[in-house]
Amino acid sequence: MEKILTKKSFPEWAEKLKAYKIYAPILDDGTWSYEVINKAGDIDLDFPNTVQAPKKIINPQREVFLEFGRSDEDTPEIKEVLPEEKPVVIFGVRPCDAKALTLTDMVFDGDSKDVYYLKRRNQTVIIGLSCNTPPSPNCFCTSVDGSPHSEEGFDILLTDLGDRYFVRSLTKKGDTLIDLGKALFTAPKANDKKELTKIHTDAEKKLKREIKDVAKIPPKLKEMFESPLWDDESMSCLRCGICTYLCPTCHCFDISDEVTSVSPFKGYRIRTWDNCQFPDFTMHSSGHNPRPDKASRLRQRIMHKYQYFVERYDHYQCTGCGRCVSKCPVGIDIIEVLNKVRDYG
Amino acid sequence: MVKLEDLRQEAAGILKSGKVKYIIGYTRGTNGFRPIPAFIKDPDDVENLIWNPACVHNLTKFIVDEKKRLKKEKNPDKRPIGIIVKGCDSRAINVLLQEKYINREDVYLLGVSCEKTGVLDEKKLNKKLKGRRALQVDFKDNGSWLVTTDSGQEKIQAEELLADRCIECKANFPVVYDIVFGDKSLRKTDRPFQSVENMENLSQKERWEFWKEQLDKCIRCYACRSACPMCYCDECVVDTISFAVEPDTPAEEKAQKIKWIEKSPNLSENIIYHLTRAMHLAGRCIDCGECERVCPLDIPIRFLNKKMEKEAKTLFDYEVGFDPGKPSLVSSFKDEDPEDFIR
Repeated sequence: MEKILTKKSFPEWAEKLKAYKIYAPILDDGTWSYEVINKAGDIDLDFPNTVQAPKKIINPQREVFLEFGRSDEDTPEIKEVLPEEKPVVIFGVRPCDAKALTLTDMVFDGDSKDVYYLKRRNQTVIIGLSCNTPPSPNCFCTSVDGSPHSEEGFDILLTDLGDRYFVRSLTKKGDTLIDLGKALFTAPKANDKKELTKIHTDAEKKLKREIKDVAKIPPKLKEMFESPLWDDESMSCLRCGICTYLCPTCHCFDISDEVTSVSPFKGYRIRTWDNCQFPDFTMHSSGHNPRPDKASRLRQRIMHKYQYFVERYDHYQCTGCGRCVSKCPVGIDIIEVLNKVRDYG
Repeated sequence: MVKLEDLRQEAAGILKSGKVKYIIGYTRGTNGFRPIPAFIKDPDDVENLIWNPACVHNLTKFIVDEKKRLKKEKNPDKRPIGIIVKGCDSRAINVLLQEKYINREDVYLLGVSCEKTGVLDEKKLNKKLKGRRALQVDFKDNGSWLVTTDSGQEKIQAEELLADRCIECKANFPVVYDIVFGDKSLRKTDRPFQSVENMENLSQKERWEFWKEQLDKCIRCYACRSACPMCYCDECVVDTISFAVEPDTPAEEKAQKIKWIEKSPNLSENIIYHLTRAMHLAGRCIDCGECERVCPLDIPIRFLNKKMEKEAKTLFDYEVGFDPGKPSLVSSFKDEDPEDFIR
């Protein structure tokens, strides 16, 4: 379904989505972040990319699996906890971040189904905003089979045409949302479509960063497990978790039990994000660590995204959002590392 | 002015003579104006060394790294590492010396003076540029910087862009070095604890509200800990498995390891993490501001450490990182201490 919605009518449409919990990017203390919006009029879709990807809504950093406790000495109690049942709308998702969700789907909706992830995923409607100009100087989506106006992973994609949005609904969930504000939408005219095509074509040319011949990288990586390149490239790594926690596709987790009260005994089994860049990620209880240094951990990050995932799912596990490049405290640049890998030897 | 040519010449010299194993300095990065740490082994590569107000990183963290690496090597090359240190970084060297984490002969210090300015606060720069993108930031004449953007060049008073820690800095000239570049023109700091004092003026309730909001944002990426040269413990309270565990550590001992902090990134656990870190840095933090700079969520972590610095100064007249021969704050006491329990 294709429609036109004026920017003036936009808040009115958003107001009609009261049955949903609405997330949108907001500027909080200098940082753009997806947060719950109480007043639809607050939604501002003129934003660069957010610091954290919207994955934090679908795959939150902390997910409670179950509650456990003991009311008396002998009676253990265990209660399953599922995500709150509430339809969610996320406004202003960038194409790289939406595509990232489709990649995470391959993992959590594959041979084994992750009920927590799927519950959140299925009750969420994703409204995208195509990037007329790259929201980050380190955007490189076109190098990894993406585009600034890719429709992958969206229910609705908005394109900013100045005073109005070109609205393309891509799923039934999207159609339902548009129907809620039916009278506000008009049919696109020929010049709207012409303008849309122009904006989309221009946007692709504005990207400043690129991985050339990316297809050569996965086979090359396969031969580079023992390469000294990893030592050189990881020299400045601080072993923090910024690159992976901010990554829209990273999804590794840990499960632990947290006791919140000893008497009465009570606690939670939780899943939290984990991070292959932390030294204890692969630490065995024996004291042996198969990834003992930062070289092996940087290699893991690159290999997972550009070799193992490609081998298993036939996609790069990277959507070119550029967050790891922009936010690395020491400027480790995945684009540069991959260019070196391609040209190595 | 620091003459880059002199710095490069010295670097080439000590590499050629084999005096140092390698040099840690700054070089051009790929992300706009931001320099990145450089590890230079070949004298021909010294041309890549740069020095400008965006050289913010405290490189002494990499000395800690090197130390850990050496411990694992069978036949370690024990030659010193050449390292470029600003005033604040040189104070970190002094703390590492004081705590006997390194020996003076482990490092060859190439000091650089910040010459009445300091380093750049990227957030202030972005605010100032209003959307334009900085490509290069250079020292200009006394007190001002030259900012090159995608739409031209402009001279900006350094004060407008200086990191807060530089405004409050007590050592913009290195306090320990083997060779130093630039003039010893110290900038006067009238109120070294201004930011903390501003915070102290708030009511307890206001401060609680402020920190609740700030620490709730933490995603526990531990970048603050990772960037800190004083966070060199082999075993950190936030790690799930103790790094003191060796293959032959008995099971009973492993079972006794206490879980100090839960993995949940909620307010309660985040507070424990940040306050533990602040306490561990009391009398040790030299205010290089790296913890705050690297935070992806812009949590003003520096305040916590600055507050401890102020306590050390007011209660014990103790200043960090100026004298490596002095006993450290937390491992010393005075007979005339008014507290009874200490005697």
